Amino acid sequence: MPENRDNDVRIGVFICHCGSNIAGYLEMETLAEYTETLPNVTFVQRNLYTCSEGGINEIKKAIKEQNVTRVVVASCTPRTHGPLFMSSCGEAGLHPYLFEMVNIRDQCSWVHMQLKEDGTTKAKDLIRMGVAKAALLEPQEPIMSDVQLRALVIGGGIAGMTATLALANRGYEVVLVEKQEALGGMLNRLNKLGPVMTDASGFIEGITEKITQHPKITAFTNSQVTEVQGFIGKYKVDIETESKTRNIDIGVIIVATGGRVFVPDGLYGYDGKKVVTQLEMEQLLKKGLDSNIKNVVMIQCAGSRNEERPYCSRICCQTAVKNAMLIKEQIPDARVSILYRDMQMYGVENEEMFRDSKAKGIRYMNYDPEKPPEVKPVAKSVQVSVYHSLLGQELTLPADLVVLSTPVVAQEDAVATSHLLRIPVDENGFFLEGHVKLKPLDFATDGVYLCGSARFPANIREAVAQGLGAASRASIPLSKGSVVVEPIISVLTNEEACRGCGLCVALCPYSALEIQNTEKGRKVHVIDVACKGCGVCAATCYQHALSINSFTDQQLEAQIDAFLEVS
Amino acid sequence: MLDVGRHPNISLMAYSEIEKVEGHEGNFTVTVRRKKRYVDEAKCTGCGACAEKCPTSVPDAFNTGLGTRKAIYSYFAQGIPSTHTIDPDFCRQLNGKKCGICQKTCQADAIDFDQEDKIVELDVAGIIIAAGYDVFDPSQIPEYRYSELPNVLTALEFERLLSASGPTDGHLDLPSDRAVEAEIKALEKKIGKSKRMLEKFEKKFDESSKQFYEKYNKGDYSDDKDRKKWADKYAEYLAIMEPLEDLKKKAESFTTAKRLAFIQCVGSRDFRFYPFCSGYCCMHSIKEAIIAHEHENETTSRIFGMDIRAIGKGFEEYKIRGGNNSNITYVRGRVGEISQGPNNNPVVTYEDTHERLVKSQEFDMVILATACVPTIGIIELAKILGVELDKYNFIKTSPFSPVDTNVPGIFACGCAGAPMDVPESVAQASSAAERAAEIAIQLRQVQNVQF
Amino acid sequence: MNKDILVIGGGIAGMQSSLDLADMGVKVHLVEKLPSIGGKMAQLDKTFPTNDCAI
Ligand SMILES: Cc1cc2nc3c(=O)[nH]c(=O)nc-3n(C[C@H](O)[C@H](O)[C@H](O)COP(=O)(O)OP(=O)(O)OC[C@H]3O[C@@H](n4cnc5c(N)ncnc54)[C@H](O)[C@@H]3O)c2cc1C
Ligand SMILES: Cc1cc2nc3c(=O)[nH]c(=O)nc-3n(C[C@H](O)[C@H](O)[C@H](O)COP(=O)(O)OP(=O)(O)OC[C@H]3O[C@@H](n4cnc5c(N)ncnc54)[C@H](O)[C@@H]3O)c2cc1C
Ligand code: SF4
Repeated sequence: MPENRDNDVRIGVFICHCGSNIAGYLEMETLAEYTETLPNVTFVQRNLYTCSEGGINEIKKAIKEQNVTRVVVASCTPRTHGPLFMSSCGEAGLHPYLFEMVNIRDQCSWVHMQLKEDGTTKAKDLIRMGVAKAALLEPQEPIMSDVQLRALVIGGGIAGMTATLALANRGYEVVLVEKQEALGGMLNRLNKLGPVMTDASGFIEGITEKITQHPKITAFTNSQVTEVQGFIGKYKVDIETESKTRNIDIGVIIVATGGRVFVPDGLYGYDGKKVVTQLEMEQLLKKGLDSNIKNVVMIQCAGSRNEERPYCSRICCQTAVKNAMLIKEQIPDARVSILYRDMQMYGVENEEMFRDSKAKGIRYMNYDPEKPPEVKPVAKSVQVSVYHSLLGQELTLPADLVVLSTPVVAQEDAVATSHLLRIPVDENGFFLEGHVKLKPLDFATDGVYLCGSARFPANIREAVAQGLGAASRASIPLSKGSVVVEPIISVLTNEEACRGCGLCVALCPYSALEIQNTEKGRKVHVIDVACKGCGVCAATCYQHALSINSFTDQQLEAQIDAFLEVS
Repeated sequence: MLDVGRHPNISLMAYSEIEKVEGHEGNFTVTVRRKKRYVDEAKCTGCGACAEKCPTSVPDAFNTGLGTRKAIYSYFAQGIPSTHTIDPDFCRQLNGKKCGICQKTCQADAIDFDQEDKIVELDVAGIIIAAGYDVFDPSQIPEYRYSELPNVLTALEFERLLSASGPTDGHLDLPSDRAVEAEIKALEKKIGKSKRMLEKFEKKFDESSKQFYEKYNKGDYSDDKDRKKWADKYAEYLAIMEPLEDLKKKAESFTTAKRLAFIQCVGSRDFRFYPFCSGYCCMHSIKEAIIAHEHENETTSRIFGMDIRAIGKGFEEYKIRGGNNSNITYVRGRVGEISQGPNNNPVVTYEDTHERLVKSQEFDMVILATACVPTIGIIELAKILGVELDKYNFIKTSPFSPVDTNVPGIFACGCAGAPMDVPESVAQASSAAERAAEIAIQLRQVQNVQF
Repeated sequence: MNKDILVIGGGIAGMQSSLDLADMGVKVHLVEKLPSIGGKMAQLDKTFPTNDCAI
């Protein structure tokens, strides 16, 4: 490790011209002369490009030959160049965290191109502030923690099973926990799987067999996770099976708890006999339809896209089209009508199925949510009346069977699971991923991953892709074997002051804080590998008990003081 | 993007193409051609001084041709790598003219006009195809008159107009107005030249051109050669000045686009072109309408579509919010025709299926939600790799193994396999990584534990 | 020893695959035909459903 030279503050400042990007708009010579006058500065150099090989060598030379103990580079943005300069300091034997960067390009020369004099004054301010902070920098050691090479997958539907097999095939041990007595999830209750119309039971049997025979997989059915403690790499998980409760060490967790089908009690005369859900329809089709059924009406968005459940459940239109075609297969002269708002047959395969269904004679009628269809019992069958908005007419359709396409909704125990794992759910009760667009399979908290209908309704293609994807994300800490965290994190610098109020614990977006009972009473404890250094806690703590490494109050105050002492 | 450029395990080869692939899963040999940029990647710091000085302007592909860049350029400002590239089709030096200004400007000595392509050979265990998609060219649809009507744009072009770093700094300037402004600029340049010429005469004869011209027209100086030249030049000047004044007057009334029409399924769900649904375009039209409204809150938008497919997480809510807060109305119906209205305003003729009427409406700008189509070069790439394509030329996969191609060890993800939005692409990208890792990483020898 | 992987195309999909593999310790060769990576997403102003900037 580089020696700690923090008692002898000798600051070297490198001012970059960035070709003409900086030098074209600021007075570089004045800037360098001024910098030489700043306290603790023992070495100043201008470079054409500090980031070029030549520039980097100059930094290393100054560390070795000029005995510089802090490095400040005044140039562009730390986002692109900070890591390069830091590692260069390290290579020359200076602790990487004794480096500070000042942005005199993006935030100065570029925005004040017409104002050479003022721009130069601002650059002086910025450098003075950087130098003031640099004097107070302290070395920081990266934080490391081992990862238990074992994954837990919660939920044994197609998404969870796919993730389990993928991780096991990579050589990791996987513990799969399923609440029901069989693996397979929703697929156990389906008939044929669109768009290829494979038998659901055969498909699930094949995968279940692979899982039960895999030496790396332990699958617990009729089981539940009852307690989760710890953090990425080091979870302690209680799994309650019928016979006993086990406590297992786990490294990463995948949430694949799926969803359930909304039961439309009180909607459209739902009775489970003449008026059924698509899920019940799957079973009717599997048993074989009563050949007296001649008229079938399906109603889309039954219980979704309304005030209570505003979202579109993505898969019900595909399911309706699939089942409509299967009805036609069993009873070719049946009249099947689908009453819809928008047919959500997105993509290549779905749209193709949609076209095929029209060719097979399935009828589609658009309804207006303001005037929804009505289902009335008549004699032995029912009647559906609907305002056909394209014809502008009220139509009455006889129906031997009405099928309601109800949405997939969140599991009843999703909120309990979210508390158990300290992960959020969205306003519809589905789990909320780290970033809806860029981190669809991660949580903000490291070490927990997400796939399948637990995230949002998905078809099998999507659930499988997400299962594989979640396995990929989860395998990253497993393949590293340890988690290494940048040491810019929160630390309890003033333990005395902490009253254990827990305000910061509630606000931390990464579940990186907990309250512990110590000899000195309730105190906050930072789980360093989970902390991302966002600073929310330090900003909140009214006792100033917490502080962020490399952004301490003293360092920030020194910067502010330096700014105010106008030259 | 930045993380990709910086990651020690990623070797980035931009401006490169796959030439040859041999071998099988676990053991492929790949030949890559690294095309010459005429700029040394190791020396170029991306500072951009060269592009500032380069005298040659070229339509900018990144800005879908709506702006210009120089013959030496970085693909876009934040591009990774930031290495500049010389466009051999336009560079004066490379086309035999005397120039080399960039070489003189570059302080890092990175310009190398003698650079050659490099051939690199790689040994890899597996291959992931993530070659993406292209947007459909709507000029194939005659009734939408995309190539004739200046204010009919594709959604991607519209993204560039909305972008603060785009060719209009984020203002919805009408392309027809921008054309006029470009014309004004060109005429002003001419006028400048012409004025300087006239000034010489005025000095010589100590008289204003106007006064002189009146006299000349009355027949004075008719045998003076020099003055005849002067008169000709002044006539030329007037001939430019008149249209210039007209155009300038016209430009005074230019405003940004406020009445927008978005047309869905342009090239998609259309048997003449691509019968499939592109999946994400309903959403990007809503998004663009919301952002346009954020820019100027008098903006109104109408989205014409058969179904509005808002099928992702939070999408339906997004659509409703757009309708409630961003002056968006959704019209169920297919647009039959776009025609030229007054002041270059496009007129949309459509069937309102709810009211069962054929209607026409004038807009400032019409934005076409063009289909997601297989990317150029995918057929050749598929041939090199030996992978099968589906009937539209997307990489073929199956619903139960969504990222596996027919060749073991070769995987596909993102829009190369089928149209999909960013969240789906990211999820699939991780799936492909998982499948590839199964080949690349030696199995870990971990002791099994019995619970 | 891990073996290398080739990723063809540097759009959002290619970048994400590369990052996942690289983070697992696999050496990735990312080949992009244009002068910079980023793909279509780099050309977008902002992206749904979060409306934050594209890249
Ligand atoms: C009527 C209907 C028809 C469909 N037809 C098709 C089709 O033809 N083609 C197609 O591609 N898709 C179809 N789908 C979609 C398909 O069902 C889903 O893609 C798939 O089920 C998603 O799998 P999953 O693993 O995410 O969730 P699920 O299948 O819901 O599995 C989740 C599993 O997790 C378990 N679980 C939940 N909570 C816990 C807990 N706390 N602890 C332990 N275990 C728990 C559950 O018991 C379940 O086994 C259909 C869906 C429906 C409703
Ligand atoms: C106007 C518009 C707006 C959109 N807005 C949104 C939005 O707001 N939110 C959202 O989620 N989605 C949006 N999308 C969809 C989004 O663009 C895609 O989902 C996403 O870009 C797909 O990423 P990709 O990596 O698969 O493909 P691409 O982005 O196309 O990337 C493919 C890359 O591969 C390269 N390549 C191609 N062929 C080769 C080859 N032979 N060799 C080497 N490299 C090659 C290309 O140059 C490119 O860099 C929008 C699309 C459009 C058209
Ligand atoms: S810095 Fe942020 S992540 Fe770390 S403990 Fe504080 S609030 Fe949590």
